Order: sequence, then structure tokens, then C-alpha cells
Amino acid sequence: MNTLLAAQRHASFSRRHFFQGMGACIALPAFSSLAHGASRSAPTRMAVVYVPNGAIPAAFWPAGEAGGAFELSPTLSPLAKVHQQLQVISGLTDLSANAGPDGAGDHARASGTFLTGVRIKKTAGSDIRAGVSIDQVIANQIGHLTRFSSLELTCDAVRKSGDCDSGYACAYEYNLAWRSHNQPLSPEHNPRFVFERLFGTGSPRERVGNLKRRQADQKSILDFVLADARSVKAKLDGRDKQKLDQYLTSVREIEQRIENSTRMSVKNPDIDAPAGIPDGYQEHVALMFDMLALAFQTDSTRVATMLMSREGSNRSFADIGIASGHHDLTHHKNSPEIIEKVKLIDRWYMQRLAGFLEKMQNTEDVDGKSLLDHSMILYGSGNADGNRHTHEDLPIVLAGGGSGVLKPGRFIKASGVPITNLFLTMADGMGAKGVESHGDSTGRLNV
Amino acid sequence: MQAVSQTREGLLLVSLNFRSRTIAATLTATILLPFSAPLPAAETGNPTVAEYRAVISPILEKHCYECHGDGYDKGKVAFDSLETDQQIQEPELWLRVLLNTRAGLMPAEQKPRLNLVEQAQLERWIKYSVFKIDARNPDPGRVTVRRLNRVEYRNTVRDLLGVDYNTDHEFPPDDTGFGFDNIGDALTTSPMLMEKYVAAAQTIVAQAVPAAPSKPAEQIVKGAAFEGQNARLRWGKRQLQFHEPANVSANFKTELAGSYRVKFDLEVNGSYFPDPGKARVILKIDGKEFLKQEFAYHDEKSYVFESTHKWQPSEHTLSIELQPTIPPLKKETIIDLFVNKVTIEGPLEKSQWVKTENYERYFPRPVPAGAKQRRAYATELLGAFAAKAYRRPLTQADDDTAERLAKLAEDHYREPGKTFEQGVAHAMAAVLSSPRFLFRLEAPAAHALNAQVADVDEYSLASRLSYFLWSTMPDEQLMSLAARRELRNNLSTQVKRMLADPRAENFARNFTGQWLQARDVEGIASNPREIHIRDAGEEGSLRDLRKAWRNQDEATAKRLAEYIDRLVDAKPEFDGDMRKAMRRETEMFFGHVVSEDRPVTDLIDSNYIFVNDKLALLYGLPDITGPEMRKVTLPAGSPRGGMLTQGSALFVTSNPDRTSPVKRGLFVLANFLGTPPPPPPANVPALEASEEDFKGHDPVLRDILKVHRENPACASCHNRMDPIGLAFENFNALGMWRDTERKQPIETQGNLITGETFTSVAELKRILAQDHRQEFYATLTRKLLTYASGRGTEYYDVETIDGIVKRLNANDGRFSSLLMGVIESAPFQKMRIQATATVAN
Repeated sequence: MNTLLAAQRHASFSRRHFFQGMGACIALPAFSSLAHGASRSAPTRMAVVYVPNGAIPAAFWPAGEAGGAFELSPTLSPLAKVHQQLQVISGLTDLSANAGPDGAGDHARASGTFLTGVRIKKTAGSDIRAGVSIDQVIANQIGHLTRFSSLELTCDAVRKSGDCDSGYACAYEYNLAWRSHNQPLSPEHNPRFVFERLFGTGSPRERVGNLKRRQADQKSILDFVLADARSVKAKLDGRDKQKLDQYLTSVREIEQRIENSTRMSVKNPDIDAPAGIPDGYQEHVALMFDMLALAFQTDSTRVATMLMSREGSNRSFADIGIASGHHDLTHHKNSPEIIEKVKLIDRWYMQRLAGFLEKMQNTEDVDGKSLLDHSMILYGSGNADGNRHTHEDLPIVLAGGGSGVLKPGRFIKASGVPITNLFLTMADGMGAKGVESHGDSTGRLNV
Repeated sequence: MQAVSQTREGLLLVSLNFRSRTIAATLTATILLPFSAPLPAAETGNPTVAEYRAVISPILEKHCYECHGDGYDKGKVAFDSLETDQQIQEPELWLRVLLNTRAGLMPAEQKPRLNLVEQAQLERWIKYSVFKIDARNPDPGRVTVRRLNRVEYRNTVRDLLGVDYNTDHEFPPDDTGFGFDNIGDALTTSPMLMEKYVAAAQTIVAQAVPAAPSKPAEQIVKGAAFEGQNARLRWGKRQLQFHEPANVSANFKTELAGSYRVKFDLEVNGSYFPDPGKARVILKIDGKEFLKQEFAYHDEKSYVFESTHKWQPSEHTLSIELQPTIPPLKKETIIDLFVNKVTIEGPLEKSQWVKTENYERYFPRPVPAGAKQRRAYATELLGAFAAKAYRRPLTQADDDTAERLAKLAEDHYREPGKTFEQGVAHAMAAVLSSPRFLFRLEAPAAHALNAQVADVDEYSLASRLSYFLWSTMPDEQLMSLAARRELRNNLSTQVKRMLADPRAENFARNFTGQWLQARDVEGIASNPREIHIRDAGEEGSLRDLRKAWRNQDEATAKRLAEYIDRLVDAKPEFDGDMRKAMRRETEMFFGHVVSEDRPVTDLIDSNYIFVNDKLALLYGLPDITGPEMRKVTLPAGSPRGGMLTQGSALFVTSNPDRTSPVKRGLFVLANFLGTPPPPPPANVPALEASEEDFKGHDPVLRDILKVHRENPACASCHNRMDPIGLAFENFNALGMWRDTERKQPIETQGNLITGETFTSVAELKRILAQDHRQEFYATLTRKLLTYASGRGTEYYDVETIDGIVKRLNANDGRFSSLLMGVIESAPFQKMRIQATATVAN
């Protein structure tokens, strides 16, 4: 790219992105077959979309009365088309991410505690400990209703070597979902593999057959390895045993999935699988969101997490004229020029969310309403003000109607309420029964 | 004596398994007598505590109380507040004391140091009383069972089955611990990964294991064999471009009469953004057209086109014609049609089939006819395969693995349409999915050394060696030595052999690649253009350009753009090849230190480096031509040499748009001196530094970092990092030499917290390699031990590390003394025996 072109791109940034926002990566196919299913009532879906490094508070929070309508703030402005599907919630906290006795490491803590709601163990790798994340609590109850109990996605394709944040193991930054206190669920970063996991490999016509054949072969393999694993595990103890436990639960989950597949039909979209990871980050995010929408639309899963980028990400955004790294910029030294750049990044991420929500809004569900009407999409960060590493007043947007459970179009002003309280409310909305507490929750948040 | 030794062992068991300080404390007397100095009368009955009160406390009072006593508790340490036996014997506290006093960081700057006797007393008390180290039989520690990481998996599968399965692409990245991706505790297994393991196993065996003993003969016409109009070559493949007409052809011969199948293997590969460009492609065989199709943009998509023919022995011509229909829109977008290959199979008649390649590798004898014999054959084959894959024989009496695998195979090959070979392959996929393949299960040798510790058995040792030096499974020689229990007695010969093997490249790539982050060089984000503009102090011109563009002042915009383009274009192109050269330099440099058995201080400073033409251009070295990397002796006075001034280190410690002296300082402290400052406080106070404070010019980093030194909350740590990082400021964020930053001259003088002053990076390197050699030896040892043992180092490893440092000192710092020190150490050779013994099979 030459300099003139770069300047051009930078100067006409908003117009260019407006047009790019219009062009979707994949047109979601219409599923007439879905409507002929046994049940005409649509299920509720839930996704958590995580953005790193918080958001500039002044540009994030909208104007509006508590409980009433609100005007979009500069950062939220890309969401104009789905304004009436949004609740903005202030006053939520993730106090488990505060330093306490553990000192530095607010980035690792922000993501490690976000869905688990518990303090995470400060360790460079020897005894990782978080808690079960809320998505997995919910998936444990409703996961058997779909072919995949949950889906974990990320748009971070490259990892750095060496240490992560201030003595915390990298697992805390690169994983959102935790199946148990020591088993993070590594997210998939390649849209092609997401697609092939959901629908099989090969051409649109062959792929379901391929999927079934593979799974049939896998059944006997899994029987064999289960026996191997049991005999090995019997001879181990302590942490070695935990490792084999992770292996065993993983094997059982695949068995369960294969079992489910025999009962549930694969709703195969008549489109080609994506080729792989697009070169541009923007295209990567868009394609990943397409995969998520497709998974929801085909009812392959109802629970998902999407880590846009690891917490503490230092990605630069050359497309919008930002050559410095995101994390470096968030420590902005109160320089107005740098703050403006961070706002642009905050807005950039919000545009990606907008693309996804619009797609969900424009996709019809089995009952004629939109996918978004039947969803709860939580967007936010475990860091509030990235400059000061605060974990109070987290930037949180909750989108969708939740099949009537949520009343969008309002600004909810909570005050010092653990975000886990909101998770309990979402668990209720998802039909998870008897989830009385989660992490540091103190009750349910009325939204 | 009997009672004493039992108590001692009992004590060790308790303290190792539960780390219960109270129990350990009350029982210490029996264990420590042999190693402690004669003790003064014990008031508490605990000799460690008694010695603390009598000997250690006075030393601390003399040297440390100014900050850590008498009401002061800098860094939350106050020695005079240690009251209970437990507080006094806290290993983590004393490990910090040990490391900080040794490194000269404590007592801090102006205060008098401990004299040699005091230091020795303190060290001895810490190591043998607090840590309770048994010098003759150090605790090997406990490594959690290690899952193969994706590098190890890939290499292991390649050695086992000859298939290169691209795990970087297929598997999620492995979580790291202590800076490395082979740490047992950090390597977890998720359902998604398990799903990928099973699918990978199916794919791999399908690729490796022949499905039948014979099949039609096959000849391949490579893409590069096609010649003709606009026949370009890229990545060894024939490349036709969508924007220009092309017509290429190639010939082949059929020797026998019969039916033949011809498969064209093509690929459309477009760069970056989608493009509406299209081209028509016509495929012909012997001049006869059999496909005419329009192709559109794809960032990467393969196409296979098949046709069958009846042929006599004769010559044939294949041709491919490309006609642009819609030219690609953007100049920077290129769409290519790659001709990968054309495969000709035949004769297809069964009577003419030939033996399948590689068949004997998996099936040394013909498949027997009877069901019973088949089952027996499958048992034999699969037992041998499983033993190889599990990296130890299936000799346990109750091991029915081979039988279970044969049953699995039989159930499969009895299905309609399945061959015996496919059944065996199916069972092999189960082997590759088993925890015994995916995890490195270890076992103790038959005779334990005592109740707590045993040597690992020879098979475990073979795997430890091969995964350490090769990142892959042991080869036949290691396995047969292990079978004869002769490996442990032939370690140095085997290590020499292993280092001479090409697989040892993995050692440099994966150890150095993570220790110094050279693996990241090819992936991290950077904006070379911004870096050059900032270096040149032309950010103002860029701002003016953007303004001119917004104001539609095209003339000014063009002029400024050309000005900036000229500035940037004069610099070496920073592309993928450059990044690769940087990574290779670091690997080759380390490989050289290993293979030539150089002093490890070469890693800090040397008079040679490794470059190719591109990298030499970046480094400003004249007269280097050609893309191959080679060793070059540096001219006198060159600032290069050693690892710290290599492109990879300078590049990975920079931000996308500028250098980061803080990151560079931290890099040196953490990776070379082993004394990283504590992480920044949790709530970093906002630094009010606006650029207006720097009148007259854009601030250089030295100006900006001054804020750190002026703020006491930042100063204590940044005074350690910043001066080191600033010494490297002559190297920009891409690793290029520069004399100015933002038109200001660069100043590199500074001093270390330990007092030494330097004026240039060359002097700094000399100080590190000479005055701080001991810390460097210890740090490198710690890193290598972590990588080799698959766990973080613990306080009790101090004895092992000290022993290796001693060895380095006695051998001029030769790499072999470090390597053999690690390999012969307790953590590498031995294991703790658990209540229920770990048995691998």
C-alpha cells in the first residue's frame, strides 16, 4: 500500500466502512425445512462476545433515564439499526478481577474471571484454577438439546510465546469458557473448521454423508480409547489423574454428540465452506460471526462464546489509520489524541457487533420472528477503563429479545451489582433450572 | 539408625506430598544434622529456627533492616516480623533472598553488601536448612503427565507414519506455562481438541496406510513440467495469471494398452481482497477439449477434473489454456491459477495393477485367507505398531492391547466393502487417539533409589531425551538401547549423536524460539512504514498529507505522498522473507553454539552472526549476496553480535510503530539476568505527559520515559529496565541501525541498578557477559531445565541449578557442560514415586 492510498483510506474511513458493513460475507440460506420441524416455537440462544481492554467510558455511556429509552453514544452509534433490540447496562462489576493480594495482572484477571465470577489462581502454569463459566453451567443443562452443547470461538489466530500477563498463565487470557475449574475450553479460530465441525467436510451434497460416516467410525475408536484411558487413569494420582479426567470427559462429550447426531438431523446449509482464515482481521471477525449466526440458525447449538481478541491484545488497526497497539494506546496518559484513537478502536469493535446483530435481526427464525428476537447476546469486557484497569461499571450491551424474556430498548442503571447477577437472569432465560448462584453473585438482576 | 532413617524418609514423604510446614518443622532435626553447621543451643527445639536466630538474623539486621525491618517493610518484606517457625521457614521468601543477594540487587545500591562469609552462611542456611535439600539426592520434583503439544504431535506422526499433518493449521494453539508450550500442567485437553485428535487420526491413517496390496500404476506430471506462453513459476508450481492469456502443455507416455484415468489438479489462489476478475480455462488431452469453464476469485480453492481414456502404448499431450474474460479490478490484487499436477492412473484393469507403494512398511506379508489367521496377523501388526506409538513395549502381563486392537480391526474389515488393510488402519487410528499415545506416560525404573525417588525407566528416559532434543518420539536406536537398559550408561554418546541429527533443529527452533520469542517473529503485527516515518521525524508531513487529502488539495497531497514514499522506499523491504531470515538467524546462531560447543556467553556477545542478503541489508553489512543464510564474521567495532542485537529480539520487543525500551529492558532482565522486576502495580497511576511538554520537537522515548524516573512509584522498577532498554535505542523497531530518532541524536549511556555504567550497547553487552556471567549462567540453566523437564523450577531446584552453573564455570561456559548438566540432573533422570506408582502400561 503506498502512502497516498493509506491517506485516502484514513481520510475516507467512515464512508468506506459504511459500505463494507453493507456487504455481508455469507448470505445465510433460508431454511424452509426448519419450519416443518416438530416444534414451531423457537429456542432461545445465548452468546457472549468479549472485547479486550475495556472502552473509553465517556464515549461509551449513552444519555438516558434509568429504565427508559436512551440515545446512542459515539461508541454505540454503529448499532443504530438494532437500537430497539438493545439494553445498555451500567453499574455492573467484576470485583474478582481486582488486584487484591495478587498484584498486577488485570488483563488476565479480567478475562479469566469474566464468565467464571471467581478469583483466579495466580500461577505461571503449575496449578491453573478458575471456575466453571456461566456458558458451561447453562450448556450442562440444555446442551443435550442440540448437536453441540456449546461453541467456543475466537478471532485471535496468532499467539505470542513466552510469558503472558504478570505471572498469570496464558490460559486465562486466551480462553473465556471453562468446563471445570482447571479445564479451559480452547476456542476455534478458523472459520472453515467451525463450519466443518458443524456440517462436515466436502461439497454441500456430500458433507452430511461424510459427517455420518466419520462419526460411525469414531464410535468404535472412542470405545477403545475409553478402555485405555480408564486403565491408565487407575494407575495415576493427583494432577496426572486430572489430566486423564479431562481426556475422559472430552471423549464422553464426543460420544454424546455422536449419539445426539443420530437423533437430530443436520440442517445442512447449501453453501460452500469458508476457505480458511481471511487475511484481514475485519474479514476474519465478520466470517466468524457468520459462522455463529449459522450455528444458531441451524440450531446446532444454543450457547456460544466469542473472544474477539485476547484480553490485553496489542493489535494495531492500520485499516483505520491506527498503527500503534490497542493495549499500549489504552494507557493513554490522558492525551486527547491517543484517547481519540482508542475511541476509534472501541467503535471499530462495535461496528463488528453491529454487523452480527443486523444479520441476526434480518434472519427469520422458525416462528417468523427474527433470530435476534430469540437471542441474548451479551457484549462487553471485564475491564472497564483500560487506562486504569478498573472492573466496575463494565461496558455492557445486552442485545436481543431473549424470546420475550428481555425488554430491550432501555438503559438499565444498576449500581455496584456483580455481573454474575445478570448471568443468573440469563440462565433463567435460557431455561437452565436451579442455578441459584454463580461466582460472586448476590441475587438476580432484574432486566 | 534404622529408626532415624525411617523417620527421615517418612518426613520427606510428608513434606513432599503435603508441603506441610508444621509437620516438617517439628521433624527437621533428624534430617538436617549431616548438612548443618554445629548448632547453638536451640530454644525452640527447631535447629533451622535456632540457627536463624543465632546466625542469620544478625546478618539481616546488619544489612537489611534499613528497608526490611525496624518498621520498614519495602516490597512487603520485614524480617523482624518473622515470628513463628513457619514464617521463618517460608521457602518462597528465602528463594527471593537468595536470588536477590546473589544478583547484587540486595542490599540495594548504596548499602554495603554481605561479605563472602556472610553470603555463604546465608546461602547454606537457606539451601540446606530451609529448603532441606539433600545434596546427594536432590528432589527431582514432580512433572505432571505431558500431552504432546502440536509441534511434538506433528513430528511424532511424521516419524511414526511418514505423514506430515499440519497441526499448526488444524489444532488450536497450546497453552503455555513458564514461557514454554511443553509444560505438563499447562497442557489441557478440551472436547474440541479431542474431536480434532480423532479426526486427525482418521485422516492420517487414511493417508499413510494402503487400503489394498495393489492398485493401478500412477504417473505424475508436475505443474512445473508444463511449458508455453506466459508460463510463470511460483512455489515450484506452474502459475498462470488471470490477467494475461496463457497456453501451456506437457507430455507423457503410456507403456501398456488399457484404460487410464487422468486427473488435473488445479488451484485458484487470489491475494487479499475478493476481486471480480474471471478467466476461462480450457483443458485438452491430445488436442481434444474436455473441459471449458470460467473460474472466479477464491483466496484458495482446489479443483480436480477427471476423465478416462482407452489408450495404446503411445505419447500424449496435456494442455491448459487460460483466456482472461473479466480482468482483475485492482492492481494490487492478483488471481492465479496454479497447476499443481496431473495424475495419470492406469492401466485400470486389475490384471495390470502394481504393488502399492509403502505396502510392506505396514504389511510385510500377504494377508492370510482364514479368519483366525487374519485375526492373528492383525494382532501381530497392531501390537508392534502400538508399542512403537506408545513408545514402550506392551510387555505387562495383563496388557491385552494388541488383542483389543485386533478385535477393533476385525469388526471393521468384516463390514461389507472393507479390506483387511482398512480394518488395520482403523485400529491404528484408535492407537493415535489413545491417551497412551497422546500423553507421555512415564514409569519408574524397577529398583527405587529410596522410598520417594526412583530413576525413570529407560523408555521414559528415551522419550525425555528425544522430546527434549528433537521434539519427537525416540528413534529405533534409543528404543533398542532402552530395551537393553543401556541408554543411561551411554548418555553422552547418544546426546552427541542426537545433536548431529537433523531433528535437532527442533531444539533450536522450539527452545530458543520460545525463550527469546523468535517463533513470534513471523506472526506479530508491525507497521514498517510508520516506523520509518517516525524515525525520520516526518509524522508532521504525514499529518499534512492527510489534511491535504481531506481538503481535496490533490497537488499538495501528491507531493507529500511522493516525498514520504521516497523516504520509505529507500529502506530495505520488510516482508515475510525478512521475518523468516530473522527467525532463522536466531535458530542458526543457537544451533552453532550447540554444535560447535561454544561458550554460552556467545549468546550475549560474539564476533559473528548469521545473515543472508536481505538481513545483511537490514543490518547494513556490505557485500552479502544470495538468499542462503551463512555465518559472517563481523567487522571490528560492529554493534551486532550475540542474540540481543539480532533482528528477532529487537523486533519482538518493539511496538507495532516504535521501539519499546521498557520491553527491551524487561527482555534482558527476564531472559538473561533472571531478575525481572515485579509487574507494575495493579492500578497504574495515569501519567500526565502531553507532547506539549516537550517544546520545540516531538519527544523521543528517552524524554517520555523520564516521567518514570520522576515518579517514585515507577522509579524503583523502571530504573532497572529503562536504562537497559535505552541502550538499544540505536536499533529501531525493525532492528535497523539509526543515529537519530525524530531528528534528535540518540543517547545510549546509562547505568545498571547494580552500579556498572555504560555508554553504548557494546559496553552493556560486555558488562552482561563478564560482570553478570553468573546470573546469566543461572538464568539460562533455569530456562533450559524448565524446557527439558516440562515444569517450572521450584525452590528446591536451586541445588541442581547451582551444580550446573559450577560445571559451566569449570568448562569455560561451554554449551555441552550446560546440556549434559541438565540431562544428568535429578529432575531429568529421576521421578518421585507416588503412593500408587505410576506405571505407563
